Amino acid sequence: MSQSSTSQHVHHWEVSWAPMVATFGILFALPLAFSAYFVYENTLLTVIFAGIGTPMMLAGIAKWVSETLHEKPLIEGMSPVGLPYFIVSEVFIFLGFFVSYWAMRLSAGNAWPPEGTPEFNTQLPIIMTVILVASSITYHVAEEKYEHNDFPGFRKWLIISIALGLIFLGCTFYEYNHLLHQGFAPSTNAFSSIFYSITGFHASHVIVGLGVFIAILIPAFSNKAHKSLVFCGGVYWHFVDVVWFFVASQVYFW
Amino acid sequence: MKKMLTALTWIGLIMSSAIAMASDSAGVIKDPAESWKHLWMEVMIDLYIMGGIFGALAIYWLIKYRAKSPDAVGKGPKLTRSQRWAWAIVPCVLFLADDLYLGASGWSAWNVYRNVPENAMEVKVTGRMWNWEFEYEDGTTSSYDVDGDEGEKGDGLVVPVGTPVVLRMTSEDVVHSFGITEYRVKEDLMPGRITYIWFYPKKEAESWVTCTEFCGANHSRMYAPIKAVPAAKYQEWIAKRAKEEAEG
Amino acid sequence: MSKKSEKFNLSEWIFTTDHKRIGVMYLIGSIAAFSVAGVMAILIRIEQSSLGPTLAADAMTAGQQYNQWLYFHGAAMILAFLIPGLTGFAANYFLPLMIGAADVAFPRINALSVWLFWAGIIVALLGFVIPDAPDIMWTGYPPYSILTGGNTAFYVFTVHLLGFASILGAVNFLVTVIYMRAPGMGWNQLNMFVWSTVTAFVIQLVFVPVLAAAVTMLLFDKYLGTHFFDPSAGGDVLLYQNLFWFYSHPAVYVILLPALGILYEVVATFSKNRIFNYKAAVYGGMWGVVLISGEVWVHHLYVSGMPDWIRIGQMISTLLISLPVGLLAISLFGTLYKGAITFELPMKYAVSCLFLFLIGGLTGIPLAITALDLHLSDTSFIHAHFHYIMGIFATFSVFAAVYYWFPKMTGKMYNDKWGTIGFWLNFIGVNVTFMPLFKIGVDGMPRRYWNYEMFPQFETWHYIAMLGALLVASGMIITILNWIMSAMNGKKSVDNPWKSKSLEWTHTVNPPGPGNFLKDVKVADDWTPYDYGK
Ligand code: HEA
Ligand code: HEA
Ligand code: CUA
Ligand SMILES: [Cu+2]
Repeated sequence: MSQSSTSQHVHHWEVSWAPMVATFGILFALPLAFSAYFVYENTLLTVIFAGIGTPMMLAGIAKWVSETLHEKPLIEGMSPVGLPYFIVSEVFIFLGFFVSYWAMRLSAGNAWPPEGTPEFNTQLPIIMTVILVASSITYHVAEEKYEHNDFPGFRKWLIISIALGLIFLGCTFYEYNHLLHQGFAPSTNAFSSIFYSITGFHASHVIVGLGVFIAILIPAFSNKAHKSLVFCGGVYWHFVDVVWFFVASQVYFW
Repeated sequence: MKKMLTALTWIGLIMSSAIAMASDSAGVIKDPAESWKHLWMEVMIDLYIMGGIFGALAIYWLIKYRAKSPDAVGKGPKLTRSQRWAWAIVPCVLFLADDLYLGASGWSAWNVYRNVPENAMEVKVTGRMWNWEFEYEDGTTSSYDVDGDEGEKGDGLVVPVGTPVVLRMTSEDVVHSFGITEYRVKEDLMPGRITYIWFYPKKEAESWVTCTEFCGANHSRMYAPIKAVPAAKYQEWIAKRAKEEAEG
Repeated sequence: MSKKSEKFNLSEWIFTTDHKRIGVMYLIGSIAAFSVAGVMAILIRIEQSSLGPTLAADAMTAGQQYNQWLYFHGAAMILAFLIPGLTGFAANYFLPLMIGAADVAFPRINALSVWLFWAGIIVALLGFVIPDAPDIMWTGYPPYSILTGGNTAFYVFTVHLLGFASILGAVNFLVTVIYMRAPGMGWNQLNMFVWSTVTAFVIQLVFVPVLAAAVTMLLFDKYLGTHFFDPSAGGDVLLYQNLFWFYSHPAVYVILLPALGILYEVVATFSKNRIFNYKAAVYGGMWGVVLISGEVWVHHLYVSGMPDWIRIGQMISTLLISLPVGLLAISLFGTLYKGAITFELPMKYAVSCLFLFLIGGLTGIPLAITALDLHLSDTSFIHAHFHYIMGIFATFSVFAAVYYWFPKMTGKMYNDKWGTIGFWLNFIGVNVTFMPLFKIGVDGMPRRYWNYEMFPQFETWHYIAMLGALLVASGMIITILNWIMSAMNGKKSVDNPWKSKSLEWTHTVNPPGPGNFLKDVKVADDWTPYDYGK
């Protein structure tokens, strides 16, 4: 509850253009590009919006990361205590989807899975589980290396973790492709809707996690890293890992 | 102190259970509209008392404790530990007693709403954007559409006086709601499910059903007349409808 | 304490990460949303003031434009005005000052929040530019929201952007309060407003994500062809309604709690009094509300065909909300007891709020009783209920906040004469507008109806309500103009015009500069923001 001295801050207004640029990047790249494509079916407009939004988003993120590396925050070490609160809200988003799934499934009784659902390959999710757990472990090793200031080792293990994450995503794409070929698309029935939403939503978290890893990796090449970011990246990754257990057990094995 | 609390709790509990029981044992049939009006009076009295106490105190204090000088400060009491607890628990028990009383009255009215009398006449209702269709037990249908062809809107729902009516309702497209102010009932219709309400037309009356769940541009024009007519007239009407239908 | 005047520097404002300036940006955005949504309200009232189409040539156009106005009005008022006005503006500006912190824990994330909020407002306003504005009401129930030709995507993205802004805000402020209180400041020494925002943010953190999930499914159903809400393919129509209200009922306490928090501050200051039974209000009242808020959502689904036992169970839990809220009421009203009350403009708003709160809160009780709601649901009675508690009580508390902290934020004094005229116009106007809605609601006036030709007897009441709305509109314009004019060239204010004992008044200049406090704050063990008696 105590607060470190803030005298270095009292002389000038703090500014950063990163949040604003990142936000407008998001605005163009997601809501507007989505609407252009799906609502107005205008490909040109979609490309333009995505073309404006993506670089803005990346620029905002890059600037943000570099600021965390070079500027002293008001109080050190707040992110590790803040992250758990954010994860609470993430848990509730996943719960929103899971509860929907349970509600539909339990009220359907014997009529589940609805017509059009093929047999699922249950080997792949097991392999994917192994890969994801392995990546959590490798990231932990990377963190150890970082603790000992071993940057080459840190980079190596970080890259291995990223590679495992990418393989995991590859499996998802392989599986989606396979299922789509069997005629099991998001629009097939209620189960396909929930299946693609939950796994897709989880995959999007993997992508965000990989993004964080890359944001850690790039400065790591010049032997720089932000302690809290390294820690938070790990906690987030482990969280995504844990969620996968629920995804796999509920969606594939129930 | 403790005694008072226990006493209050018991009063609340007894009051509420007594009311819940009273409604079960009474022999007369209560219909939803009647129990609604009865309950409404009860609740209004309750709320006027609650609001009156708080409101009157506020006005009294606002006048009485106006600052006497610009530098005056308040002398609000600093509560002791037991006063703090008392000021939390006693009001809570009172509020709880009131809630249980209201809840019990509400519950018994609710039972009236959900228990359909056995001799009720059944009508199937279908809602769609934006008109109503009614199907009687013998298969005769009637409908109402504000924008019907050539001003032919339809007859709406015609029911005989003196017979309870239960409606089994569903929708063909979006969520609608079937609300009749006259009989104080309302329930949504939705695709894939059947919901029900019942009402008791005791005297001749013409009233309206309005769609009360938002359903698009013509939501506010999705209404239909409900005519409670003497039994003989009803028979006449339904025979006429059956004939019209047979002729196509 | 004095401060040398600074030159206005636009880029320092736009790129700011300072909580006070972010607070002001929230205020500007939410008042902008309020103004546009208010204009929609006036159009709604004019349309209803006479039978038949009033502002359109034919019934179809009347219906379509009315629905678009009403959509924008409801969605913007709740999501873009009140919630950000209370938790964005008021919490941002004053919470760090009240706890003696130099800023929030994550200033850059705070800036991200405010920009996401602005992006949400931009998407909502784009609805006026595109040909097929959303027409699905703020509740967005499927299947209509999926079948409509309107642009449901913009509704979804507005919710996403504003929701994400809220979540980030919640994380930020919870961490700030937990870790950045001034040395010596214990939990029982926090301002009531601080507690009220803490509890509101706990609700936001847990429930907003569920709403985000719900509207995401809506988006998928409409644009990617999924079947979450389609019973013919195994989906469930009522699922959306449940998820929506699982968030949107607790959301009303995200409004209620900070609104009450502001009132506690104002009432305590202008009664120069301590809070009556502080601990009961905080631990019983506020936390009690948080605890119950998640178990009552079905009271919005009483008429939607939920199983009987849930409807009865949630009737009981809904009624039980009167316990914690009653504790809050007791300590709010009790703070007047033996006070030394003066009636400056913020206090005028606060006093009116006491009564508006009673009317709005108590009319929630008949709605909570299932059997009564089976008639009242979806009538004007509902509108009257929530306009009293939200559209007036909570809105007036935002106004009370702006006036109360006006000298703090601008260093200047508002114009009291115009402010008072605005107050009376507002207060009389809202009662003239919304009292008739109680009456015609009980008599069966359905909501979301521009057309009521089956009930011609309501026309007079609608007409009176329109006159009331015009009074409100004039009051609002005067009030908003008063803020703008006074901020630009009002008289200079003294440092602590209300002689408050709270940190934001006693330890900072008007307006506070970067870093807030001239020197680090420490508080004594027996200090509280309300010790006037000493
Ligand atoms: C700030 C916003 C706000 C607040 C605080 C509340 C507070 C309450 N609301 Fe309201 N409500 C809305 C905003 C709000 N509401 C909105 C926007 C809608 C409509 C949404 C839509 O459909 O679009 C709505 C709709 C709504 C419904 C659904 C009606 C329907 O659509 O069919 C119900 C039903 O139970 C309800 C009940 C309540 C109750 C019981 C409270 C309670 O919290 C009130 C508690 C307060 C008091 C009781 C007064 C003070 C206490 C005392 C003086 C103590 C003593 C009192 C007793 C013991 C009774 N509200
Ligand atoms: C915070 C919430 C809030 C607030 C403050 C208001 C404020 C008002 N509301 Fe609204 N209202 C809702 C929330 C709110 N409302 C919601 C949630 C709904 C439900 C929607 C639904 O059913 O889905 C609703 C629905 C609703 C209806 C129901 C329509 C129907 O069912 O058919 C009506 C009708 O009278 C109405 C009227 C008004 C009026 C007259 C005001 C007035 O108090 C407004 C006064 C404000 C102004 C007039 C703006 C003043 C400013 C200017 C004029 C700009 C000037 C510009 C500058 C100076 C720069 N509202
Ligand atoms: Cu049908 Cu509204
Ligand atoms: Cu509610």
